[in-house]
Amino acid sequence: MKKLSLFTICLIILVGSWVFLRFVIGGIISVPIPGSVIAMYMGLIVIAILVHISVEDSLFREFRRPILETLVDDKRRLHRRVLVVLIPLLLLGYTYSIIAQRANPPGSPRDAHPSPPLELTYKDEVIGTMQDVVNPFRHYEKDDPEAFKAHVENGRRVYHQNCFYCHGDHLDGQGHFAPYLQPLPANFQDPGIIPNFQESFFFWRIAKGGPGLPAAGTPWDSAMPIWEDHLTKDEIWDVILFLSDYTGYQPRTFGEAH
Amino acid sequence: MKSYLLASLTVLLACCFVGSVFAADSDAGEVETLIFPEKKYKPMAVNNGGTISGVVKFEGDVPEMKKLEITKDQKVCGAEEKFDESLVVGEGNALKNTIVYLIDVSEGKDFDKKTKLEIDQKGCRFEPHVQIIPLDTRLTMLNSDRVNHNVHIFSVINTPVNKQQTKNRKKMPLAAVKKAEGPVPMKCDIHGWMSAWVAYVPHPYFAVTNEKGEFTLEDVPAGEYKLGYWHEACGTNNEAPAAVTVEAGGTVTQDFTLKLK
Amino acid sequence: MRIRTTALLLTFLGILVVFNFAHTQNAPEASEKGKEVYEDSCAHCHGVEGRGDGSAAENLLPKPRDFTRGLYKIRSTEAGQLPTDQDLFDIITDGMPGSSMPPWDTALSANDRWEVVAYIKTFYDGFKESENPPKQITLAGKIPYAEQSVETGKDLYVELGCVECHGNVGRGDGTSAPTLEDSWGFQTWPANLTQGWNYRGGADTEDIFKRFIGGIAGSPMPAFEGDSFLNFGLTTEESKRLIELENKDEMTEAEEEESGKFYEKMDAAVDIALTIKEGGEVSAADIQTYNDAMKVVYEKSWHLANYVKSLMPAKRPEPAIGNNVLRSQYVQDALPPIDDAAWETFEAKYFPLVGQVVIEPRQFNPTIDGVHVRSFYNDTEVAFLFIWDDRTQTTGDETDETTGKPLEDALAVQFPVKVPQGPTAPKPYFLWGGRLPVYLWHWKASAPEQVTEFTAKGINNAEVQEAQGELKAQGIYTDGQYKLWVKRALKTDDKKDLQLEPGVFVPIAFSAWDGANGDVDTKRVITSWYTFVLEPVPSSKRFIYPPLIALLSVGFLFGLRAFVQRKNSENA
Repeated sequence: MKKLSLFTICLIILVGSWVFLRFVIGGIISVPIPGSVIAMYMGLIVIAILVHISVEDSLFREFRRPILETLVDDKRRLHRRVLVVLIPLLLLGYTYSIIAQRANPPGSPRDAHPSPPLELTYKDEVIGTMQDVVNPFRHYEKDDPEAFKAHVENGRRVYHQNCFYCHGDHLDGQGHFAPYLQPLPANFQDPGIIPNFQESFFFWRIAKGGPGLPAAGTPWDSAMPIWEDHLTKDEIWDVILFLSDYTGYQPRTFGEAH
Repeated sequence: MKSYLLASLTVLLACCFVGSVFAADSDAGEVETLIFPEKKYKPMAVNNGGTISGVVKFEGDVPEMKKLEITKDQKVCGAEEKFDESLVVGEGNALKNTIVYLIDVSEGKDFDKKTKLEIDQKGCRFEPHVQIIPLDTRLTMLNSDRVNHNVHIFSVINTPVNKQQTKNRKKMPLAAVKKAEGPVPMKCDIHGWMSAWVAYVPHPYFAVTNEKGEFTLEDVPAGEYKLGYWHEACGTNNEAPAAVTVEAGGTVTQDFTLKLK
Repeated sequence: MRIRTTALLLTFLGILVVFNFAHTQNAPEASEKGKEVYEDSCAHCHGVEGRGDGSAAENLLPKPRDFTRGLYKIRSTEAGQLPTDQDLFDIITDGMPGSSMPPWDTALSANDRWEVVAYIKTFYDGFKESENPPKQITLAGKIPYAEQSVETGKDLYVELGCVECHGNVGRGDGTSAPTLEDSWGFQTWPANLTQGWNYRGGADTEDIFKRFIGGIAGSPMPAFEGDSFLNFGLTTEESKRLIELENKDEMTEAEEEESGKFYEKMDAAVDIALTIKEGGEVSAADIQTYNDAMKVVYEKSWHLANYVKSLMPAKRPEPAIGNNVLRSQYVQDALPPIDDAAWETFEAKYFPLVGQVVIEPRQFNPTIDGVHVRSFYNDTEVAFLFIWDDRTQTTGDETDETTGKPLEDALAVQFPVKVPQGPTAPKPYFLWGGRLPVYLWHWKASAPEQVTEFTAKGINNAEVQEAQGELKAQGIYTDGQYKLWVKRALKTDDKKDLQLEPGVFVPIAFSAWDGANGDVDTKRVITSWYTFVLEPVPSSKRFIYPPLIALLSVGFLFGLRAFVQRKNSENA
């Protein structure tokens, strides 16, 4: 078997890497890699190849030999003719596809959990600072389980009369209105939601709804109502108790740390 | 503590509200029913039986009969004006469509097999408005209209019926039922205003009052009976049925005066 | 090799058999576990005592099922029969599309779902009393979908009176539609048969067949039992002959006799059918007669099911999200009028509508499913065609009790006044704006040739623009569907108007009102923001740059070759 030329090996490495990234990882293992990341990896590989061939003069000469041969050698006339047609054709197709491509709308860089304000309010009444406010009924969980149960049950009622249309029977964000809302309603069964925020954060999101979000949360898109217009303060605290009771996730607390 | 009280109060209030909404609905849906004898009825030959007859009258201001809104098939259904028949009061306050019946009869005459059991759908109205149907007997629905109807009987104890009777189907017998029940509302969903009542009964001592408010129960074996009534708008006397004593060959008169419930 | 294939096949068959056994499973005895799951997952709608009166029920329509009457809509069983355990299990598993009943396939384990089936059966004594298993509808003898079958089904659709409620082409707009009530006295709407994705019990031909034969208990949908069909008991030929005889002005004596015999035959068949239903005794010959009669009925029912299937698209249209935006097509000449065939040349974009539950008064039970939109533009104007289904045409003759405002069908199309520049630039609030204003086209069914321009800074803060532009509009209502055509100039002199330019992505949103569903003011159906663009005419640059680059590359290659050749000869 004829020994492969350095140029061919480099070519195989380049094409092979691309196929591996695009189709093996992206297709078979199905972890799709964005085009920009693939481009970055390919750039690194090209640099590595360039570094390798420029280490020694002999290597570089070996590398460029097939190129030069193709350009001038009489034996390579067929190769030359094919390439002189193929390369311009590929470039033609590529530039055409870029120019004729139809434009797509810009994506919305939305922050799903933007930072809350420093102060927690209900309507205009200041409840306290976001960091310090705790659910006034949470302590019943230890002190008075019966009372706690009553609050959770009330939260359940509030939830099913107001929230389940979008957030779903199972609190998984899959209510019957949900599929046609953008952004999608929050999924409280997602382990990344309840344990990551304090109860005061949930109070803020419920009370102020979509319009109360900072600009990073694209307040103009969210269909979350301003619930302080419909619910009492206690109802909001109760529904928060229900959310964590039903899902089994405990909201984050800072109180003990102080 | 205050907020806790407030929360409980909210719960209470909410419960009351929800409760009241549904209570109202179930009231409207609940129908006062006839009382049927607990023991299985035994038919026998009745010789020299007595007769119970009387007149049912309405007491109170007679409300004007509500005109029904005919929403479709005007040619057939809207040819004549139609009125809500839940309270039909005739001359001298005679109350039509009242069922008068023996509550506690265990044996007596057999059903008259010859009477045709029919309800006609004519001009998009059921005729008669109240029909007594013996158990194990088929009711035949007639369609005198050249329009489609659907016969919807809202039975609870027996199997409910909802069957299309197309304009080409002049006669449609319905399966007989085995359990006493009623009165049960009958509707045509296609013509939402059409309404009637059927009662599936285990013995023949049932009568429906005519335009003059009259009823007659014949061939009643001599004895003491409780006489009940049922009316769509006026309710029943289930709480305090009338007591009548029938003598062999004699005639007892028992009139009733009913008020809106 | 062959042996291995056979073995594999056998294993596969075995699995199939096991699966089939699993498919007719029965629920276990009711247990504490079932009660626990029910109270945790179901009671908030269906009520602790199964009466359909949970805390969520108040705002729902269709109402959650009341389990105490044994009336189940979605069954595989014949008219008046209770559902099988499998039927109940399937409904819990798959949910009921178009209602608030979600699928519980992921939220509850199969075991828990069976426990719930056992538990809900305790709410109705009928399940205990019935000794025999419910009689299932036989699905054998299915007639495959074919044009001829659909045609036959179409005639039956009219003959059997389906049009009374479901309307001429199945959009649920029949003349009886507005007055329907369920067995509990709540308002109910007939299915829009063209929206298969909203069929509560699924939209497969078999599902349609079962609903039709078995009826939908508790609703106004009748069961089409054998003798609901014309000439039950006659063969197709006999039936044809009878119709022929009856259409004659005068029958001869022989013909009288012939038709009389047909009637006797039909009466006999009905008698047998009723006797079977009543549980009476019938002879083997009678059963044969009955089966022959039912064969004709089942055939007809499959035709009807095929027809209903033909009314709906294969799948629910995809919402116009992501890159699937509404693109207005460029035409050089005049824009097509409302009835032009050009509108049919490309697929409409679909915008699903949901109830407005943000601001009081709210709409929890929408009746409008979505709006389909197409658009064309030329150098000066843009035209839109909006299509949406509405079962009733309401033009404001009746008024809303609380607001005193007329109840009427309407559509509003919403744009920002100024298109936000860049992806992070704020848009107006999706519900008719807020701090940033929106520009609206408001159309009402009472004035179908008119669109009014509004500027709004909130759902309750909309004002008619003082200067109304020259908008052309045309609205048509046929067979349960509105078509609205609107045309406007791309550019106007009014600063409060949206100015349109090809290639610019414009946020667009919709509101719709169904007067017959009590929609008025904020009580309506809505969408959040979607995107609309006047699709630019493809640039003519695409014919210049690519060939230029190709030529340059050829030049470069030859230049390179010349360079190398010169270098080589120099070296030599």
